[in-house]
Order: sequence, then C-alpha cells, then structure tokens
Amino acid sequence: MGSKEICRNELRIAVRQLSDRCLYSASKWAAEQLVGIELDPVKFTPSNTRFQRGSSSIRRRFRTNEIMSTPIAGVSYVSTPVMEEDDIVDGDFYLLAKSYFDCREYRRAAHVLRDQSGKKAVFLRCYALYLAGENRKDEENIELEGPLGKSDAVNKELVSLERELSMLRKNGSIDPFGLYLYGLVLKEKGSEHLARNLLVESVNSYPWNWSAWSELQSLCTTIDILHSLPLNNHWMKDFFLAGAYQELRMHNESLAKYEYLQGTFSFSNYIQAQIAKAQYSLREFEQVEVIFEELLRNDPYRVEDMDMYSNVLYAKECFSALSYLAHRVFMTDKYRPESCCIIGNYYSLKGQHEKSVMYFRRALKLNKNCLSAWTLMGHEYVEMKNTPAAVDAYRRAVDINPCDYRAWYGLGQAYEMMGMPFYALHYFRKSVFLQPSDSRLWIAMAQCYETEQLHMLEESIKCYRRAANCNDREAIALHKLAKLHCELGRLEEAAFYYKKDLERMEAEERDGPNMVEALLFLATHGKDQKRFEEAEVYCTRLLDYTGPEKETAKSLLRGMRMAQSGFPSMSAEHFPP
Amino acid sequence: MEASEYENMDLENLVFEKVTEEIEAKKKAGERIPFHLHVPTPIFGLVEDTDIELSAKPTFKQSTKGKEAISYAMTLDGSSGAVDHGFFLRSNWQIQGYLLEQTDAIEKHGSSFPLNALEFMLGQLQKLAPELHRVHFLRYLNSLYHDDYASALENLHKYFDYSAGIEGFDGIPPSSGFNNSGRYEIALLCSGMLHFHFGHPKQAVEALTEAVRVSQQHSNDTCLAYTLAAICNLLSEIGISNASGLLGSSYSPVANMGTSLSIHQQLFVLLKESLKRAESLKLKRLVASNHLAMAKFHLMHVQRPVLSFGPKASMKLITSPINVCKELRLSSNLISDFDIESSMMITDGSLSTTWLKNLHRQRGSSVIFEETEPGNRSNASSFFSQPNSIPGSVSQLVGASYLLRATAWEMYGSAPLARMNALVYATCFADCASSVDAAVAYGKLIQYLAAYKGYKAAFAALKTVEEKFISVSKSQIMVLKLQLLHERALHRGHSKLAQQICDELAVLSSPVTGVDMDLKAEASFRHARTLLAAKQFSEAAAVAHALFCMCYKFNLRVQDASTLLLLAEIHKKSGNAVLGIPYALASLSFCESFNLDLLKASATLTLAELWLSLGSIHAKRALTLIHSALPMILGHGGLELRARAHIAEAKCHLSDASFSVPETSGVVLDSLRQACDELQILEYHELAAEAFYLMAITFDKMGQLEEREQAASSFQKHIMALEKVTDEEDPLLK
Repeated sequence: MGSKEICRNELRIAVRQLSDRCLYSASKWAAEQLVGIELDPVKFTPSNTRFQRGSSSIRRRFRTNEIMSTPIAGVSYVSTPVMEEDDIVDGDFYLLAKSYFDCREYRRAAHVLRDQSGKKAVFLRCYALYLAGENRKDEENIELEGPLGKSDAVNKELVSLERELSMLRKNGSIDPFGLYLYGLVLKEKGSEHLARNLLVESVNSYPWNWSAWSELQSLCTTIDILHSLPLNNHWMKDFFLAGAYQELRMHNESLAKYEYLQGTFSFSNYIQAQIAKAQYSLREFEQVEVIFEELLRNDPYRVEDMDMYSNVLYAKECFSALSYLAHRVFMTDKYRPESCCIIGNYYSLKGQHEKSVMYFRRALKLNKNCLSAWTLMGHEYVEMKNTPAAVDAYRRAVDINPCDYRAWYGLGQAYEMMGMPFYALHYFRKSVFLQPSDSRLWIAMAQCYETEQLHMLEESIKCYRRAANCNDREAIALHKLAKLHCELGRLEEAAFYYKKDLERMEAEERDGPNMVEALLFLATHGKDQKRFEEAEVYCTRLLDYTGPEKETAKSLLRGMRMAQSGFPSMSAEHFPP
Repeated sequence: MEASEYENMDLENLVFEKVTEEIEAKKKAGERIPFHLHVPTPIFGLVEDTDIELSAKPTFKQSTKGKEAISYAMTLDGSSGAVDHGFFLRSNWQIQGYLLEQTDAIEKHGSSFPLNALEFMLGQLQKLAPELHRVHFLRYLNSLYHDDYASALENLHKYFDYSAGIEGFDGIPPSSGFNNSGRYEIALLCSGMLHFHFGHPKQAVEALTEAVRVSQQHSNDTCLAYTLAAICNLLSEIGISNASGLLGSSYSPVANMGTSLSIHQQLFVLLKESLKRAESLKLKRLVASNHLAMAKFHLMHVQRPVLSFGPKASMKLITSPINVCKELRLSSNLISDFDIESSMMITDGSLSTTWLKNLHRQRGSSVIFEETEPGNRSNASSFFSQPNSIPGSVSQLVGASYLLRATAWEMYGSAPLARMNALVYATCFADCASSVDAAVAYGKLIQYLAAYKGYKAAFAALKTVEEKFISVSKSQIMVLKLQLLHERALHRGHSKLAQQICDELAVLSSPVTGVDMDLKAEASFRHARTLLAAKQFSEAAAVAHALFCMCYKFNLRVQDASTLLLLAEIHKKSGNAVLGIPYALASLSFCESFNLDLLKASATLTLAELWLSLGSIHAKRALTLIHSALPMILGHGGLELRARAHIAEAKCHLSDASFSVPETSGVVLDSLRQACDELQILEYHELAAEAFYLMAITFDKMGQLEEREQAASSFQKHIMALEKVTDEEDPLLK
C-alpha cells in the first residue's frame, strides 16, 4: 500500500501548509481525508482506529474496489510539497499576523505584513484584505438593505487586490496560493474564463488545496468546460471530477469515481456523504439512510449534509429518527442553514407548517442562496394551500439555480393546483428537460395534458410512454397508458399495456383494483377477439376476487363455453358463406 | 421611501396599465398616496452615492446639493440617448414612473426601441431593487417587441411568479382590494397574447381559454372582458380555416354555442358578448376598442342572420357600411368621456412621469422622435388644450378609429374621405401613435399621392417619411417603397425589375403559415400582375388561381374580389374574352356584397372592355357599362383607372359602326387627351402608346394631318421607351 503512504505523507504536509496560510476549510478537508485513509493493519493501535470504528460494514460493502492505488495514469506531476521558510525575523511578523488573523482581526493582520515581500507573507496579507472586504460587504448588505431589496454592496478590496495580484503574476513571483486568491477575486468580479485559467494553474502546481478545486468546480457549468480544462493527473483530480460530475447531474459517473476513491480513503466521511448525495439524487433512499446512520455513529456532531438525511427521513416518514436528528443538531449548532432545514423538516412532518416555514426562513436569513430551503419552503406553502407564496418561493429557488428541476416541478404543481394546467405545462416542460430520466415528472406532465380542460390525450400518451420507459416506480404509467388507449378505442394497444402492467404487478406481487381492472379488460378483450383460451385464464383468475367482477367473470365464462360448444351453428349464423 | 410604503405599494399597476387601464386610473385617483416626491433632488450619481434609502432627511439633502448640480450638468450634455447611464431615480414613485414611461415608449416605438440600452438599465435596476418585479415585465415587453420568444416567455413567467401572489417573502397581502389568490388569469391573458404575437394560434387559444376559466373562477370580470376581446382579436386575425379545427378541440367559451355556426358567426357572437360585458363593467377603453373590432368585422365579413338557416331564411349577403360608421362613431365617443373626467386624471403617479418628460425635454433627447417635428407637437398640444389630460392610450384608440375609417373609405371607394381621415390621423395622433400605426397612415397618404399625382410626388414624399422613420418599422416603410417601385416598374415595362421587387416583397412576410396573410396575398397578387405584364398568361392565371384559393381559405374576401378581377384581366389580355366575362361578373357580385364601390367600378370597366373585345356589335353595351361606372371612376379613381376608362370610352365610340368621326370627334379626342395626360404622369408607356395611337387614327380620319403626325410621334416615343427597357439599377431600391 505504498500509494496510501504517499497520500498520507502528502496530506500531512499539506494540512500544515494550508493551516499555516490560514486556509482553514481546505486544511480541514485535507485533514479529514488524511484520517480517512485506511491504516496499515499491522501498525494500528486502538487509539489510532478510534475514528474508524464502526465503519466495517461500509468497508465490507465496497471491498471490491481494493485494487486501486494512485490514479489511472499513476504519475503525480507534483510530488511531496516542500516547505519554504521565510527569514526568521520576517517569520516573527508572520506569526503575529497569523495570530491576528486567527482572532479575525484581518486588517490588523494585513497591516503587520505591509512591508513583507515573502510569498507566504504576501499571500496572507492579500487574503486577510480579501476577507476584511468580504466582512464589510456582508455588514453593508444588512445595514443598507433598501426598501426594494438588497443594495449592491461590493467587496471594495477587489480592485486593489486584482491590481496587485496581476502585477505579481506578471513578475512571476506568485505562488499557487496567490493564484487561488487571484482566481477568487476574478470570479467575484465576473471574469469567469480568466478565473478558471488561474485556478487550473493553481491546482496544477499545488493540488492539495481543496478550496481551489471547489471554486473551480463551481465555475464548471457544462460538461464541455469540464473536459476542456488542462488538468494534470493527480489523485486530487479524482475528488474534483467526482464532485463536478455530481454538479452536472451525472450521478452514476460520480458514484463510480467516489467508490473508486473509497479504495484508498475508505474511512473518509466526506466520501461517504458524497456517495449518499449521489444515491439521493438517484433516489436510492434505503442506501442513503444506511450511510447516514453510519456517518452519524462515527461523527455524531456533524451538521454538514445532514439536511439531506432529514429529507430522506421525511420522505420515508421516519418520525422518531427525524426527531432525534433534529434535537441533536439543535443542541449542536442551531444557527446553521442545514440545522434550520432539518428542524423545518421536523416540524413539517409533525404537521406544524407555520413553524416549519419559520425555520426555513431562518435558514434563508443565514444563507440567502440556500437552494433547498427555498424549495422546501415552497413545499410547505403548498401544504398550507398558499399557492402564490409557494410559487414565489419556488421561483426564487429557480432563479438561484436554473437547473433545479425540483423547483420547476413545484412551480408546475402549484399552477396545476390552481387549475391552470396549460400554464403549468411550461414548468413541467422545463423540469423534464433538466431531468428526463425521472418518471414522476413525466407523469405530472401527462396528467396535465390529461386534465379535462386540456384533454390532449395524444400528448398525454407520449408522456406516459416516456414515464414507463424510465422505471416508473409507482407503476402509474402502464396502467394509465392502457386506460387511455382503451378510451381512444385502440384495444390492441390497450391490451398490450394491460398485459405489461399485469406482468409487473405479478413480479412485484402487488394486488388491488388495478389488477382486477386489467384482468377484466383482458378477459373481455380475449373473448371479443375469439381467443377463448386466453380469456378463460384471465376469467379463472378473476374468480379469486370477491365483488361484482367475480360475477362478470362467471358470466363471461358461461358465454364462452356456450360459444365454444355451439360453435358450428353459431359460426354458421354469424359468418354466412 | 419607507419600507412600509413599499409594502403598501401596488406592484400590479403595470399589468393593469397593459390590461385594464381603466381600473388603474380609478385606483390611482382614489389611492392614498403620501405626497413624497422630492422632485429634482433625488437625482444624483449612482456611482458616487451608496445610500439607496433616500428618506426625507434634511441633512442628507444638503449634502447632496453639490452632486445634484453635477448630475444635472452631466445629463444635460450627455448624448447617450434615451437611457441615462449616468444618473438614477430614487423615490419609489419615480422609479414606477420611469418604468411606466418606458412601457409607453416600448409600445410606441416597437422594434426600433433600443433593446440593449433598456436591458442594461433594467439589469441595473434589478440589481439595486431585486424586489421590484415590474422590471421583469418590462423585460418581457422589451423582448416581445424585439421578437425574442424565449426571453419574453421566461420573463413573463418570472414576473407573474414573483408578483402575482402575496407580495414578497414576508407574506404581506397586497393592499388593494383583490383576493389573495393572485391574478394569474392576467398571466394567462398575457401568455395568450404572447403566443398570438409569435404566431402560435393553438397555444394562444389554449392560454386564453384557460384565462377565461380562471377569471371566471376568481370572478375577475374585467380580465374576462379583456380576454374575450383578445379571443375576438385572435379569431379575426388568424386565418379562419386555422381556427376551425382549433376551437372545437377544447372546451372554450365558444364551443358551447354549437358547431352549427361558422367561425365568423361565432366571432360575431363573441364580439357582441364581449362588447356587452365591457359596457356593463364600464370599461370605456375596452368598449371603444370593441366597437373598433366590431367595425372591422362589419367591414370585412358578409353578414348573415346568425341563427336562421335554410332556404326560407332571407339571406342578407352584404356588409353594412352604416354599421361600420356607427361603430366607429361610438368608439370615438370615448374621447369626450375622458374630457369630462380629465380633471381626475392627474395623480401623483402621472405627475412623476410628467416631470420625467420635462427632464427629457431639457436634455433635448433626440430619440423620442416626436421632438423632431416641433410643429407636430404643438399641434397636438393645442388640440388637446391640456397636454396630459387625456391618457395616451385613449388618444391611441381614437386615432385607431380614424385609421380604420381611412381604410374603410378606401375600400368603399371614397378617395377624399379616406385621404382626409389618414391626414387627421397623421396630424393629430402621430404623437401618441405607435410608430407602426403612424407609418401606416403615412403610407396611405403616399399611396394616394402615387395614385392621384404620379410617382414623382410620391417618391419625394417617401423620402421625407423615410427620414422621419429613420430607424423605425423597417418593414412598413419598406413595403410601401417596394409597392411604389413595383407599380412604377410595371408601368414603365421593366418586367425583370418588377419581378425582382416582387420577390423582395414576398421575403418580407413571415414564413409561418397563417401569419402576415395580407402581405403574402399582396406579394402573390403582384407576382401575377408581373407575369401578366410579361405576357406569360398561363403562368399568371395559375398564380392568380392559387391566390384565390388561398384568400378563400383564409377568408380574405376583399382580396378575393380583386383576384377575380385580375383573372378577368388576364383572360382579356390573352384574348380570351369569353372566359374573362364570368370572372368579371363574379368579381362584380363580390364587390356588390361588400360595398366595394370603387373596385366595382373598375370591374364594370373591365367587363366593358371584355364586351368590346368580343366585337363591335357589343360596343353599345360596353358604352352603357362604362357610363354607369364613370361617375365613380372620375370622382374617386386614380390616374390609371381614369385613363383606362377614357380610352375604353374612346374605343367604344370608334368601333361603333353608327359613329361618325367628324361629328362626335370632340368627345373622343377629349377623353383621349385626358387619358394621355394622366398616363404621361404615370409614365405608363403601354397604355399611353395606345392612347396616342387611337388619337392618331382619329386625327387621320378627321384629316388633320399635322396633329396626326404629332400624335404618331408621341406614340413612337412611348413605344421606343417601352422597347428599350433598360434594367438600370434603381437608386431607390438600394
């Protein structure tokens, strides 16, 4: 397991370097991955494995991927990061500045480093200034919120920072961290192309800075952009690609990448959470639940990504688990958008929609662009029959991320509820465009077409057919297809779909009125088509049911026997030569 | 503005400006609006200033004095055009006023309105005030008029998603007395009109039907009335044959009338219904526009008794000019109504726009092109005595009635009345008219010029109009120019050029079937005429026949009449008079049932010519026909028609066996001389040559050799001109 050792060494150094530069979230990420690497079983001691306890089941599940070593091409262009040291005296200033920085006194930190020219010092100064500007911007946003919404507060440091960083870059005296900051500034400014180039440059020369990767990821809005990035091979690239695929809704590709990464980082909570996310998008709720239970056992105070877990629990109506989760995050950190969403879900499941809305609203106060909070709030308003408010909430979600097919779907549903199926179609169309593999969306659209007001059955059939082709879990589509064809007088097609539906119901061992309906139709149809044997089979099956159908089946059988026994005379009557 | 005021503000005013202006006017008048306009103070640089919350703090005002001066200076010499990049409006009402004004401007200037400048401005506004959702509506309008379907649709939905419900995120109900469920029916109405605009009649009908249903659900009668009007408009505009399958397909307000009615009977019933509804709701503007629609219907459709059918029912197969006039008069009554109410119309909201207008004047903005003709403006002001007393939409409607009058008289064949009405429109309503309508009026005037005064005058006028509408409605003016050029090319005998122009004309129409039918019909009609002029009779007949079928299919009855006449003409020219006569007769009967008097006179003339070409025994009959048509032709006909009548009359006289030259030569020569004069103005070589030829013969018979030589040489001149067809590049074409 040499590669694991390599990764571990690289990460170890990187964590130090990153936290030395005050890039805390990146160092947190790196440290998490560092601990996530599976230990050499020979060396491990009980205290070492504390973090990894209980992960056995997950590990077992993905044991198939054990083969992996460092990535495909295998060649790391950058080997172990080197530590460069500034002068001792300068180093003292740096220590002071870092202390100020840690106390969130950014301007003070920058001031201490004003005359320093070492790369490290320059970066920290610029970064401190950037953060100071961001802080001021946030304050202004709150202070100056005008009557018609936000003011256009900007980070006032951006201009000077850009000037300085571009000069440094021209001189060639910029390090990968500087490049990352430069990319950040440019992204904020809106010059995305340039920002992308700089970030690529940064991660190519220093791949362990996860913050740079995630900025880059947010700039990859299409698959073409992603493929056009000139990235060096490094195992960090796999993390990046997996995340980017997820953003681009290529869930299976993303899942494959993560499972591959798990070979090395088999105890990484991050990877587990990401896998859960992908599974969630693929609507594999069972698996998601298992993963999150595991995660919570290892990392009980985790809040990140837990809102998704709460969504799953909500969907499965696991009331006690959701309640437990909500109480736990409430104790841990109740003023985080994720916590608010979880608590909101909890109240929603309890049926206290006003309270739930309040929490979603709080989540949005904490993070205005919290996509899921907008969508969830839309759902709540729908529950509360306040459709205009729901529409507004969904629309905001859509404006934050136009690819959020759930919000589009919600909009469509809201309008459909108001009795505007034609208007709703616009939204369903958007939603299926974004997620053509989701049968629910197709079914919603089909139902719109089917409404009595529009009554566009041909279109409806087309939609149901699409739904049936994408693994329609609730098995609505086949039944509907059969019914619609029957309504339009296309009996052969109807029989085809009834038969398919029947097969499915048999396979899933479901029973119910649909079954009876299918059997009855097939029996009658078989009889009309003079396929008596077939019809008889269906009739006999119908006899197992109680109710009027049984009688109908009996009379059908009787009729068929009559027809068969009196065959010669009957046929002579019916078909004269 | 204080936050509470923002919350109480009615954001939906704008929709109503578009859709139900009536209500808005009342609401504005009755609304409690704190007088909160710091009129010139709040203009200062967006860039210099960071505080958007302009409240009435006196200290603040003082501190901005300097900036104010700067920004004034900046705006005064800023030549950036309609949209001001330099300064920004602050108080809520001013922003609203600005948006309102932009809306008017978009509607008025149509596609010539600068797309990007406004888009930029709206982007800025949205950044500063994300809760000001009207911006989306303006974006929708802007992209609608610039034919950007995707963006228009997106912004329309966005606007209604945000604003049609309870305003904003805090769940404060809108202050006006409307129910909480939003006004999504208006969204549907708008989306219906959007689809209509882009030529998707099917979607438009679906949307409008849904709008009817939702308005009924929410008992929004106003919207219902407007929706009905929109459906009427849709039905009358799209090809009727398109609609027939379409209305039956879904539940619709008309479907329950039963399928026994033809589409335009349904339309008629619907129009009446819509009118009644509008009257009962006292929506004056809607009433007026419904009257206009009704007038249009009476003008274009044969009226039949709606519910009685069968052989016994008396078939009254005529249009009714009286009804048209009545409806038109009713629709113009609107203006007097508003005159009475004008005192109520000045409210704070409109005041803020007035102020804006003054600002524009100060800056000498040249984009609002009403400024380019100062005389025009003062005329309008004196006409309405009080410049802002009558809302633009009202005068637009009244103007539209004049335009419709002009069209009606054009069809009924009263040249002076048509000209007068167009003139009234161009002088009095050009200010408030949308540029497209104004261009139509000018186009009409120029066409009259061409028909009555010859091409020289017409082209001179066209030049000035082109300058006036320099960036505007390229298609309108373009079509006019091509028409004139084509006409002239035909007269001069440049058939190649004529064909080229014809093709260009055809290209201007939209490729979607059922859209731009008028233009398509016209292009095809001119194509047939070109072929006829090039003596390709069978091709011309084929084109004309196809045209007739198309017109019949899309219910363009007036074009049907003229196409029939053209077919008669083709047969006449091809020497097949017997075949031509039935066409001429059919055209005559069409004209009679539609009261197309001038066209009827022209058809009578053609019929006479056909008879005449059957031999001299029919000369008497032809002469009687000509005499019956002459009063109409001489009174209202254009130069060409008059000349033709004169020539035909002379020919009749000449071919009549009982006619003796020396005695009545005066009559013949007189009419021939007139014909020659008129044709020379038109440069119509072919006919002119014929006239001179006839003249020469007459002189010859009279023995006046000198005059005969003179006529003959003129004849020769025209023939030469016709023969040396130089297809030189026309400078006007480029």
